[in-house]
Amino acid sequence: MTPASPPPAPAGAADADMVDALRRALPFVSLGPDLLSRVAAIARRESLGPGRRIYNAGDASDDIYIVLSGSVQHTFGAEVGAKDALRILVPFEVFGWAALLEDRPGRLATATTLQHAELARINGEELMQLLSADPAAGQAVMNSFATLINTHYTVPETRARVREVVRLPAASRRALPSAGEMSALQLNLYRISLWLKSPKPYLMIVGFIIFIGLWYYASEVWKLPRFKEMPGPTVVVKEWFNPDPAYGLSVYTPEYYTHIWNSVRRVSIAFVLATALGVPFGLFLGWSPKFREYVFPVFETLRPIPILAWVPLAILMFTQTESSVIYLTFLASFFATALNTMLGVQSIDESYTRAAACLGASKWQVFREVIVPGSLPFVFTGLQISVGVAWFSLVAAEMVSGQYGLGYVINTSYTDVKYPTIVIGMITLGAVGYSTSALVRLLGDHLMQWRVRELALGAR
Amino acid sequence: MAVKMTSGGTDATKGAIRIDDVVKVYDPDGAAVMAVDHCSLDIAAGEICMIVGPSGCGKTTLLNAIAGFHSISSGAIYMDGEMLCGPGKPIAEPGSDRIVVFQNGALFPWKTNLENVAFGPLMQGKLSKKEVYEKARAMMADAGLSGTEHNYPGEVSSGLRRRVEIVRALMNDPKVLLFDEPYRALDSLTKSVMHEALLDIYYRNKVTIFFITHDLEEAIFLGHKMVIMTTRPCKPKKILTIDIPHPRDYSVLTSRRFRELMEETSGAVHEEARKAFAAGEKEG
Repeated sequence: MTPASPPPAPAGAADADMVDALRRALPFVSLGPDLLSRVAAIARRESLGPGRRIYNAGDASDDIYIVLSGSVQHTFGAEVGAKDALRILVPFEVFGWAALLEDRPGRLATATTLQHAELARINGEELMQLLSADPAAGQAVMNSFATLINTHYTVPETRARVREVVRLPAASRRALPSAGEMSALQLNLYRISLWLKSPKPYLMIVGFIIFIGLWYYASEVWKLPRFKEMPGPTVVVKEWFNPDPAYGLSVYTPEYYTHIWNSVRRVSIAFVLATALGVPFGLFLGWSPKFREYVFPVFETLRPIPILAWVPLAILMFTQTESSVIYLTFLASFFATALNTMLGVQSIDESYTRAAACLGASKWQVFREVIVPGSLPFVFTGLQISVGVAWFSLVAAEMVSGQYGLGYVINTSYTDVKYPTIVIGMITLGAVGYSTSALVRLLGDHLMQWRVRELALGAR
Repeated sequence: MAVKMTSGGTDATKGAIRIDDVVKVYDPDGAAVMAVDHCSLDIAAGEICMIVGPSGCGKTTLLNAIAGFHSISSGAIYMDGEMLCGPGKPIAEPGSDRIVVFQNGALFPWKTNLENVAFGPLMQGKLSKKEVYEKARAMMADAGLSGTEHNYPGEVSSGLRRRVEIVRALMNDPKVLLFDEPYRALDSLTKSVMHEALLDIYYRNKVTIFFITHDLEEAIFLGHKMVIMTTRPCKPKKILTIDIPHPRDYSVLTSRRFRELMEETSGAVHEEARKAFAAGEKEG
């Protein structure tokens, strides 16, 4: 579809109809009759058939538009951050207001006529000039544009700054990246700045302060009965960041990183194996009732067996301690992944598979196009649980058998009476475990754009 | 709506449905429940046939039998003289000649609107990928959906989603569209827009429409023919031709004939609804 080339009718004398239409358009409601007729005089009429593209996102924005009759569909690009990406505009609604924004970014949206539509076009620069003749009334118009953008178009205020009628010196204006030129990095920085402006990070910090404070007072100041033997936060931090640690482990000793590396490597191998086997296994469990009937009872009998109960068999099965630790870690992850994947397949609404069958998809196509993507949300929930379970069972396995690793650190520090080192091991486990599950979540968001966008818009 | 139409929209030549003495008995735990009771019905090619009945009366069972989702116990269903299901073949083969528009919508949320619309022909592999997407774009533009191609269904309004779903069906040149109360969840204003949009699409693509509803107003506004079903077991109680000429628009709703038809039918519908209520039928 080519953008509608504008052969606008010459701007004639202000006709009464146009004045009347403008008066009904929200931003101009407050304008006096004199200014209103002058604005009407620079408005041009344009008439477009159904399905005509008025402009594309990223086009230069010169004019604003008012719908006089018919309807127009207005769709924002995802990067604009509008809460409602899509709006149908009916008579006397105003669009194309990017022409009035600071630094005039390109079009933020795509506008297309739905039915035969008559539009009024007003050049943004000309309008600004007219309005600056009467700064008070002009600023009122611009203010109602700002309100309109924030409320009707649900675009965040910071992204859509309407120009001031009396132009401020260029230096004091904030340059905002337009939707078109906003890179992924800028978008992320923008999101981080939003996050920093929200109360969330501060609440998080307060939560940590309260937790550490309680720990400090309980163990070091009040020396409560249960906490007497427990190393307090100052002891732990001093040991942790000590170039010459009293108990031999701190961020300055290479062994610290050997332990972390060993644990991360084991978890990664186990997790990748569990995913590679668990996801297809779960898909078939959910998809084929026959397969499920054979396998599921066995599966459900094995699943509740705690990982520690597997330790003797694991040692018998694998002569190397390394492979038995990985096997134990894998086992717990595999069950979590497979079960969630199966539930994911079963959660798919029957009408999706029926619709696919109606549309001529073969059984294999239904599997590929419906079953696999439809179960992804559950699969990723399963994978997040699976990472957590992997760390859990890794530590158990490392405590029983194995060399190196954070579980090994915790266990040997206990027998060697190196109490602060136990806590260093625990906190490191927490931090590394958190990062791995955040990675899985990021991967999931990346693969399920549809879901991210849907959730961002809120349940509708 | 500029399309000139004279009378009942039966200039389509394909998609005549004949339901012949169909019985459907559910037998979940030995207790046989009759859902459809010796039901016979003829639907001409290109006709909009509205099936009206209380919730849970067995209308959807009939639709599922035509679509090929459920088997029938006896009787037969024919399309253009060819048996879809019947003696020796209890369940019809689902196919792109009969496409269902589902009650809660069944656009794949993980595909964009354009990918959804292109789905049928892509799966059938009759056209090249390029041709499919060209056709999909053209059909979406035709239905006033340009600009939403790259949105996911979850990002657009429910009214738009329904339109995308109908376009997805029409991409396959179906003979019959089966609607299972598609506008049930919509508010009445959106519903009225959807009705006009549906008629608009229908006037340009003549297909047979089998449309289940429990909304009498919807039935009279859209249909050439209206079948009032008895409550479970389901069979036609009253078949009625709606003699309001097509093309119709919303002025029909205030016409005298419309009110007369409402009066003529609401008694029968109400009676069945009362029976269903007394029998404690589940919503659905």
